[in-house]
Amino acid sequence: MRDPYLQVSGLTKSYGSVQALGGVSLDVEKGEFVTFLGPSGSGKTTTLMIIAGFENATSGSVRVGGRSLSNIPPHARNIGIVFQNYALFPHKTALQNIMFPLDMRGVPAAEAERKARAMLDLVGLSGYGDRWPKDMSGGQQQRIALARALVFEPSLLLLDEPLGALDKNLREQMQIEIKRIQKSLGVTTIFVTHDQSEAMTMSDRIAVFEKGRIDQIGTPQEVYRTPSTPFVARFIGDSNLLPGTVLDPDQGLVRTEHLGLMRLPSRLAAAAGAPVTLMLRPESIHLAGLAAGVSEDAPNRADISVHTVVPYGDSTLLIGRAGGADLRIRLRGPEADGIGSGAALSVLWPASAIHAIPAV
Amino acid sequence: MLSVLNRGAAAPGALKPWLLLLPLVLFLCAFFLVPLGQVALMSVTEPEFGLGNYAHLTSDSLYLQVFINTFLTALGVALCCLLLGYPLAYLMAQSSPRVAALLMLLVTMSFWTSFLVRTYAWMVLLGNNGPITAALAFLGWNPPPHLLFTRLSSTLAMVHILIPYMVMSLYSVMKRIDPALLRAAESLGARPWSVFRQVYLPLSAPGMVNGATLVFMICLGFYVTPVLLGSPQEQMVAGLIGTQIEEFLDFGQASAMAMVLLASTMIVLTVYHRRFGLDRLWG
Amino acid sequence: MKLLPKLLGVLVAAFIAAPLFIVVPMSFSTAPSLEFPPPGYWLGYYAAYFTDERWTQPTINSLIIAFGTMALTMLLVTPATFAVVRHRFFGRGLANLMLTMPMAMPHIVLAIGYYSYLGDLRLTQTHLGVIIAHTALSVPVAFLILSANLKGFDRNLERAAMSLGATPLRTFWHVTLPVLRPGFAISALFAFIQSFDETVVAIFISGRESETLPRKMFESIRMQADPVISVVSTLLFAAVALVILAPVVWKAVRKRPNRDCARGGTPAAKDAAPQDVNPCAPSRVQLEA
Repeated sequence: MRDPYLQVSGLTKSYGSVQALGGVSLDVEKGEFVTFLGPSGSGKTTTLMIIAGFENATSGSVRVGGRSLSNIPPHARNIGIVFQNYALFPHKTALQNIMFPLDMRGVPAAEAERKARAMLDLVGLSGYGDRWPKDMSGGQQQRIALARALVFEPSLLLLDEPLGALDKNLREQMQIEIKRIQKSLGVTTIFVTHDQSEAMTMSDRIAVFEKGRIDQIGTPQEVYRTPSTPFVARFIGDSNLLPGTVLDPDQGLVRTEHLGLMRLPSRLAAAAGAPVTLMLRPESIHLAGLAAGVSEDAPNRADISVHTVVPYGDSTLLIGRAGGADLRIRLRGPEADGIGSGAALSVLWPASAIHAIPAV
Repeated sequence: MLSVLNRGAAAPGALKPWLLLLPLVLFLCAFFLVPLGQVALMSVTEPEFGLGNYAHLTSDSLYLQVFINTFLTALGVALCCLLLGYPLAYLMAQSSPRVAALLMLLVTMSFWTSFLVRTYAWMVLLGNNGPITAALAFLGWNPPPHLLFTRLSSTLAMVHILIPYMVMSLYSVMKRIDPALLRAAESLGARPWSVFRQVYLPLSAPGMVNGATLVFMICLGFYVTPVLLGSPQEQMVAGLIGTQIEEFLDFGQASAMAMVLLASTMIVLTVYHRRFGLDRLWG
Repeated sequence: MKLLPKLLGVLVAAFIAAPLFIVVPMSFSTAPSLEFPPPGYWLGYYAAYFTDERWTQPTINSLIIAFGTMALTMLLVTPATFAVVRHRFFGRGLANLMLTMPMAMPHIVLAIGYYSYLGDLRLTQTHLGVIIAHTALSVPVAFLILSANLKGFDRNLERAAMSLGATPLRTFWHVTLPVLRPGFAISALFAFIQSFDETVVAIFISGRESETLPRKMFESIRMQADPVISVVSTLLFAAVALVILAPVVWKAVRKRPNRDCARGGTPAAKDAAPQDVNPCAPSRVQLEA
């Protein structure tokens, strides 16, 4: 069996008695775009810094292309990094910044300049070589930083929350841009962010970090549709989490604490009586009578009284009480027209929308 | 003053700032500008009207020698302060906050201790019965060299006295260097020496320029230490000015030298101001 | 971090420290002239310093002059600082320049000026004469510190006071002044030290009647290196250490957990950044020497 391109195994890191990483392992294929997603302090940046060689792991190993990086200093790792605030050298022009890694590798000046200019073209800043970093916009600095991290054909590209400092519109533009460049060069990339929508749109796979561990690794669809822990369900997208106990695993029947009986699309891999959490995305809940193709019969339905209405333009979020708990419902377009606070609604959802998260 | 009032007429209350400033401005006119003007005046009127004192400065090789000596000493002291101050400031910038605070405490303490106290300390250290002479004798240098009242002793003491200025200038700049830049350089393939040479050193250059300018300027007009510790044969300008007054009561010659000293200081300041802006120098 | 630069840094720190601390054992030495290490220890020269009028009188003179300078400086600088910081007016740049200019003057140049000018006014060898000269020299430092503090002052505090019914004068007295008190204190302290330490001008204009401590020390070192000089040096060094360490100790005391909570936990105190030790230290830029 072929080894994975990047192989991180069993990384731990402690600062005194505080454990920052509690055993992080993952494999990344060549050319893949993997995102480390998690709240701050979840260990994603620490993992990145260990891969880059700026932090030493307490235990565990990092291998790239089958070669251990353990005793290789950062400057010899050949890993391109885009830092949070770009870290462009303020005393060098854009072009000089991009030429820097080539200079460090002893590339002759003429060839270095040619390569650097080609990178400038690639990031769409051909005429900007002689600008100083301070004279460039955030988005332009971002592109220069990207060009600098890629010009020496690194074995790995690490992006540490690179879009955090940009405003919303520019951010979306840069997401597309980074993805395009990454694709065109086929460079294996690890992207760190705490923004779940960024992770969803850019990644081949997402690794969700929580408290120094990876909760789940999977495609954006997998982590969205079938989160493996309640934390993942909450962190990615909006969700209703319903605690309950397994009633009949073969029939896929669960009794929830607040909404009574629920039927799942398939049988459950848990014993009767075992605790389980059901996840129900707000957008898969429909108004009774309006939902074409959803069977109207119980048990997957509820009566709620709406207490909060949040309009988003393209959709509307309704929050209502049902069985002593809040239920969040997201309705598309005009469906929610005329529904105000205090309205009593009957809602239902297809069995296929329910995902069972086994209790840990 | 009229033009001031006229312009101020547009904005009501424009007189108020001048009223608040008036006492201090009058004071400085009477007790700063006028005495300074008097020095300028004396340089061309004492003992007789004319540029004789200045002509004398250029014709007598003694004066020229003193000016060159002063200039070279100031340059040397600035260079020594830079060479010694840089590692210390670097150590402070790279250390834990606790260690950095401790070192800063030491630098601050030296900074605030009177020039005279520090000069005296060097007399003890370099004296014929001092520890350094004893150490040299112990190492087999017999008879030990006479260290006090030489160019070496005054230079050493001036470096010691002025090094806090350098360390503070350097440290304030180094502390603001983003560590991410160093990591970036490393990730891009720079070895430790290249990181220092290509990134850290250029980014700390403003601190080097600030510190060196300060030290050089202060050193140009240094009076106390060269007079007390230096060789009487190799005076510096300030010392010679003092001698002219105390021993010869030659106000004209002293004033002319003072004006040249003042002009040199102003030139350094102006060049600095043109390139970097003065407000940065005072920290 | 590499070992070599670290080692160099430590050596330089030792180079800075050694001369400072060597004066302490010297002050207890029995040797009548410069000799290190001391042949024996006693307190004789301390007794000499505190009883000899040739030393006590200059000390008293210096204190009188420093307090006088501090008072006069603050009196002149305070309104001027408000004018320059709070108002935009024609000539502001010039005023700014004038207030900082004395800082850039080599003291020897001013010393000649004062020697002849204050001599004409019959003010040399008087306390007043030295106070006047020292005030001119202290203005820039006091002004720079006070204006930095004033610039950081939140004017909404004053607006709030006035909206609550305080007259401008009461606003100044009850809000502006108390909030700026630390700034005033540091500014005044710097003016005091500026005068207390000033040597060159004092050498030329403070005569028998108003001889300052630095002048006495200078003469003493120049003439015969009177061993009492080491006592004075030690006392001055101790005073500096006290002034610098006091805030550090104060901060450490305040950091005690119970107090910390009461103050809502000051995060600033926690990462006691080195520059906090003496926030204004670099402002003492003077071509004194």
